Amino acid sequence: MKTRIESVEDITASFARQGYICSERIALAVYLAAQLHKPVLVEGPPGVGKTELAKAAAAFLEAPLIRLQCYEGLDESRALYEWKYGKQLLYTQLLRDKLGGLLADTDDLESSMARLGDLGEAFYSDTFLEPRPLLHALRSEEPAVLLIDEIDKADQEFEAFLLELLSDFQISIPELGTVRARHQPLVVLTSNDQRELSDALKRRCLHLYIPYPDAALENRIVSERVPGLDARLSEQLVGFIQHLREQDMKKLPAISETLDWARALVLLHADSLEQEQVADTLNLVLKHEQDVTLARDLLPRWLRQQRSR
Amino acid sequence: MPQRRLQELIQALRGAGLRISPAEATEAMQAAALIGYRHRDRLESALAVTLVKRQQDQLAFAETFARFFSLSAAHADDADNTASPGEADQASMPAPAAKRDDPALLAQSPQQLQQQMAEAAAQMDFTAMEVITQQGLFTRRLLMSMGMGAVDERILQLDQGDGRDQAHAGQLRQWRQQVRAQAAALVRRQFQLHGAGKGRALREQTMREVPFRQLREFRDTRALVRKMARRLASLHQRRMRRSRRGLLDARRTLVASVRNDGVPARLFWRQRPRRKSRVMVICDVSSSVREPARFLLQFLYAMTDVLPRVRSFAFASRLEEITDDFADYRPEVAVGRILDRVSGSGTDYGSMFETFWQRCEKQLDSNTTVIVLGDARNNYLPDGAETLAQIRRRVKQVWWLNPEAPSRWNSGDAVMDRYLPHCRVARQCGSLNDLERVVDALLAGLDR
Repeated sequence: MKTRIESVEDITASFARQGYICSERIALAVYLAAQLHKPVLVEGPPGVGKTELAKAAAAFLEAPLIRLQCYEGLDESRALYEWKYGKQLLYTQLLRDKLGGLLADTDDLESSMARLGDLGEAFYSDTFLEPRPLLHALRSEEPAVLLIDEIDKADQEFEAFLLELLSDFQISIPELGTVRARHQPLVVLTSNDQRELSDALKRRCLHLYIPYPDAALENRIVSERVPGLDARLSEQLVGFIQHLREQDMKKLPAISETLDWARALVLLHADSLEQEQVADTLNLVLKHEQDVTLARDLLPRWLRQQRSR
Repeated sequence: MPQRRLQELIQALRGAGLRISPAEATEAMQAAALIGYRHRDRLESALAVTLVKRQQDQLAFAETFARFFSLSAAHADDADNTASPGEADQASMPAPAAKRDDPALLAQSPQQLQQQMAEAAAQMDFTAMEVITQQGLFTRRLLMSMGMGAVDERILQLDQGDGRDQAHAGQLRQWRQQVRAQAAALVRRQFQLHGAGKGRALREQTMREVPFRQLREFRDTRALVRKMARRLASLHQRRMRRSRRGLLDARRTLVASVRNDGVPARLFWRQRPRRKSRVMVICDVSSSVREPARFLLQFLYAMTDVLPRVRSFAFASRLEEITDDFADYRPEVAVGRILDRVSGSGTDYGSMFETFWQRCEKQLDSNTTVIVLGDARNNYLPDGAETLAQIRRRVKQVWWLNPEAPSRWNSGDAVMDRYLPHCRVARQCGSLNDLERVVDALLAGLDR
């Protein structure tokens, strides 16, 4: 991992080289997180590039990205570590004869217990430990970027369990003791605001809210990510998407959807939104039938307005 | 110097309703030290990232930040001297008006005056301001510590003198007036930063405690109700999740254990099925009880996340279902419409229970909670307690919320005594605080 970050501009430039065009606040949050060794909690509507941010940060820092996807019912054994019960059982089966031999020269129960006790440690050692993403991040040889995706989908208890990790970069495993991070990872948490996160968690993190981008930024993103697109069309497309976001829709179009649409238009060799076929591609942008119908009505009206301006 | 300014800003942000822990404040200082004070936008971003943890606070932060550094545009080229509300506007300061024997203060140039006022302001603790009427006091203190006392005395002295002296006194009065206006403006800015927030907290406290009848006189009760409801809702959402794990799922556990030679290494749990509770609210909206009804309904419908199945009824002289009003309009609008439509006087609880029974008998089951909000003032009509008993036998529980104090529950034409035996819970519900407690207790006892 890069240990020295020169400046905020450094981050913006590197992100831009990777095709992740961002506002200054985003770069600043990454800068502060890396410098202050604090986790960042990223919130915002779906599809604005929250997960992408973690990927871009990993690439910028030249660090491996370790990802933990959260869901309802996620528990420690999926997130942190699990014992390989199957392997443990298999070993005891295979070693049964060996064990018999080992215990043969003990004459009473107590001494065999004592000997078994010495061996018992072996069954709860690294050989039988199945590390999950969190433990991976803590024991990684080089500092990593840890992405805890959609933390709002996990249960309240899991959130509480994360607190120790987030504030001290350590975690307690009953059989092994406390595991400290070899190198402090850069932690990025994302949330879609499905439920309110606890204050305790928020207090430990820097907080970054990524809104839908404004027209200028979105234009830059589109022209960067979809090179074949005509500049005039790109402007028109972004303008219309921005207009759609002001409407009362079931699901608002995100950046990823803008990009999908732009790519489709390139494939169709479209050079303006006025063409017939364009209306048929609207279902790339909008995912509900109602929204599509609304947008179809809006499009000609909006185009007329633009022309008269 | 910037450290102190930052602390003041954090104070002001707390006043504006943000919750900032000491640890977060420290982080903000570290972040500011990293970023530097040169770029205002960048500093704002850095502080926002470290201090603002809820999106709804973003606006309050931006406003406070802008107000705090409102004068910095005038000093943009002077990076060390980031202006704050502690500074007065130099252009509006009066020109020197000193003559022979006048106090030194009068001879100051506008710049010097401004400087002096800023220094005096820096000595004062504006964070102690709580209510708007304290502004006069603080203005006076500020002027005194600048040395205005000497000017006051000089004016009095000149008034005793001849015509020329009196004319000069007039000039000085004008000069004093101008300086005073500047000081007042400075104090006002400080109050907006520090005092307004504290005043808000104080007002909120009062709003929670006054009886509903007087609550009308306050503005933005709506925001407070919504805030309280949101807090309760998130509290109870959590409780719900935790209590859903049920018995061991023997089948799944056994099937999984086959892999491990019959050792049940992983346990599976059944989730208890949710039994959906239904809440039916009957609100008395006659003139004496309409205010509590307004707030109870707003409160319940602000919590649709955790209480999705509420049916509500309003009655004065007759009973009417009002559930649909809430489906079509926002709670505060719906309540207004209902009160316009159903209000009246002459409550008859007996016939109300009768109508309710006839209309809703089919839906009453062991998952239903019936809440009655009313003062039980029955105008000496038959009380219909038997019907309430009938309802009680059908449903899970009946709650009675009475806006009056328990000592008055049976005074005059009130017949609470007749209904009490059939209510699992009967409570006074006369203020927002009472209401919050009631709803909290209600949610704790419900399966959702």
